[in-house]
Amino acid sequence: MSAIIEFKDISKRFGRRIAVNSLNFNIENGEIFGLVGPNGAGKTTTMRMLVTLLKPDHGEIYVGGYSALKFPNEARRQIGFMPDTFGVYGDMTVQEYLDFFGACYKIQPRQRANLINDLLDLVDLGHRRHDMVDTLSMGLKQRLSLARVLIHDPSILVLDEPASGLDPRARVEIRELLLEVARLGKTILFSSHILADVGELCSRVGILEDGKLAALGTLEQLSAHVMPHRRIQIGLLNRREEAQAALQFMEGVSEVRAVENGRAALEVDFSGGDEDLHQLLAKLLAQGFPVVHFSEETQNLEEVFMRATKGIVS
Amino acid sequence: MTAAQRGFFSRIIDNPIIRKELKGRMRGRQGFIAIAAYLGLMSFFISVFYLLLAADNGLSGDPGFLQTVGKAIFSAVVLLELLALAFIGPALTSGAISSERERKTFDLLRASLLSARSIVFGKLGSAAAFLLLLIFTALPIQSLAFFLGGVGAAEIVISTLMLVVTALFFCALGLFFSSLSQRTLVSTVLSYAFILVSFVFFFFFLFFLNILGVIGSSAYKPLEELMNAAAWLLLSINPFFAAVVSEIILIEEQNLFLTAGGYLGSTSFPLPSPWIVYIVFHIALTALLLSLSVYFVARPDQ
Repeated sequence: MSAIIEFKDISKRFGRRIAVNSLNFNIENGEIFGLVGPNGAGKTTTMRMLVTLLKPDHGEIYVGGYSALKFPNEARRQIGFMPDTFGVYGDMTVQEYLDFFGACYKIQPRQRANLINDLLDLVDLGHRRHDMVDTLSMGLKQRLSLARVLIHDPSILVLDEPASGLDPRARVEIRELLLEVARLGKTILFSSHILADVGELCSRVGILEDGKLAALGTLEQLSAHVMPHRRIQIGLLNRREEAQAALQFMEGVSEVRAVENGRAALEVDFSGGDEDLHQLLAKLLAQGFPVVHFSEETQNLEEVFMRATKGIVS
Repeated sequence: MTAAQRGFFSRIIDNPIIRKELKGRMRGRQGFIAIAAYLGLMSFFISVFYLLLAADNGLSGDPGFLQTVGKAIFSAVVLLELLALAFIGPALTSGAISSERERKTFDLLRASLLSARSIVFGKLGSAAAFLLLLIFTALPIQSLAFFLGGVGAAEIVISTLMLVVTALFFCALGLFFSSLSQRTLVSTVLSYAFILVSFVFFFFFLFFLNILGVIGSSAYKPLEELMNAAAWLLLSINPFFAAVVSEIILIEEQNLFLTAGGYLGSTSFPLPSPWIVYIVFHIALTALLLSLSVYFVARPDQ
């Protein structure tokens, strides 16, 4: 894979506040990249610089090999941008809205008509094409927004908080749509506060804090970075204290804690592969401990996020 | 039509902003109500004006008097239109860019392939098209004067030219303040404040010139003439002064383009008729305001 977006030492200051501080990272072609961070971390500023709405004070951004500063139209041609607020032209129908933005991207009228049909089918809004945009629900507006972003067939989608303000059903629908769009080969960069969505959708995640990149990588890499141990949950029918004492001397175990999550259980920090883990369970059973539950805690972006960030807001 | 002309018109027609704005403006009843109200008010004022003239003088069959009435009605229509343009022009454009900011659609436009020039000229084009529609729909009212006589082709051409330039200028003025402001309320207030201040300045200047006229002339003749010419040029940029004084020069001196007398007395060299100064100045100012609007729209956020 090759980098389709390159941030090279990007900095942006608003007055005395540094919004983005020497940002360096690449986004590969075809990947879904999630940008997470607390409010004021610099996510929106980073995205606005990428889509040429904001000029960095320092550094360079490359989109498909073109400098976004020197060739903004090349960047705009390749990027579809959805800001964190839905831009409404209340006096337009759904079809007119897409047609207008198609014209803004200089797509010929005949080609536009076919494109709009396809896009309305994709976002399942064909039956609302003659309705005024104002009459759509928030979820449908967001779907329309996604169709607008795709109108000029960009290779990159930059989506700032696409699920913000949506009800759970609309959130799931948008997530499904994004996966469908990703299957079309688009590169997606999106920011979200809903870490479950980011964890589920993204191939890589960048955690921003105070304008700096606090962590970057796949969820597994981030987990390994901030949580060097595997965390194993062991449920026991009884003899918890004895099991805790026995586990402390077993190979690969660095810490054992007693936890109460509905039943008596132990939480074990464990280093080793799946074979070692199997051995651990086998030893417990061989010593006659009544194990009723044995599972590894899945990597949780929320936990990674909490460990990677310090709660600093610039 | 030449290829260049075809290119120019297709660029205008293809501008998505113009099409969107015109569609929005004429969608539903509000566009038609605005035109009907404008023409209704215009007709009402002209009818009152005509009835007052008739009541004062009685409309005899004297062709000389009828021609005077014709000229008066024509001038009244043009002055009313100028006044209307000063009110309607900024109203149409002072929210053009700022409302996009308020609706959060400005970023969507700027992130598209639409150039800042297309956005500004699209907004200007749609507002100017509506104002031109108002000007041209008022032509039948203006043409009432033709029944009475006294109005020549030159007056019609000059007045239409002045109205078109005025329409473009007031649209550009609103657009400029709109491109500067984040909020439509601010840009609307700034646009009308600018118009008000320029009129107040005009009357203060007129007052100052009248005092200067009473004090007497300078001993140094070239300086006096230069001041006279400068005062003439400054006064000529006011639409009402330009329209009324150009008409007076046309009647009294029978000259469409030049006059021998300035405001403070005659000069040894001819001065341009006020309508020429008005048109040249406002075309230049309109171009400047549009260039600044394009700059403010194109400028990335700081």
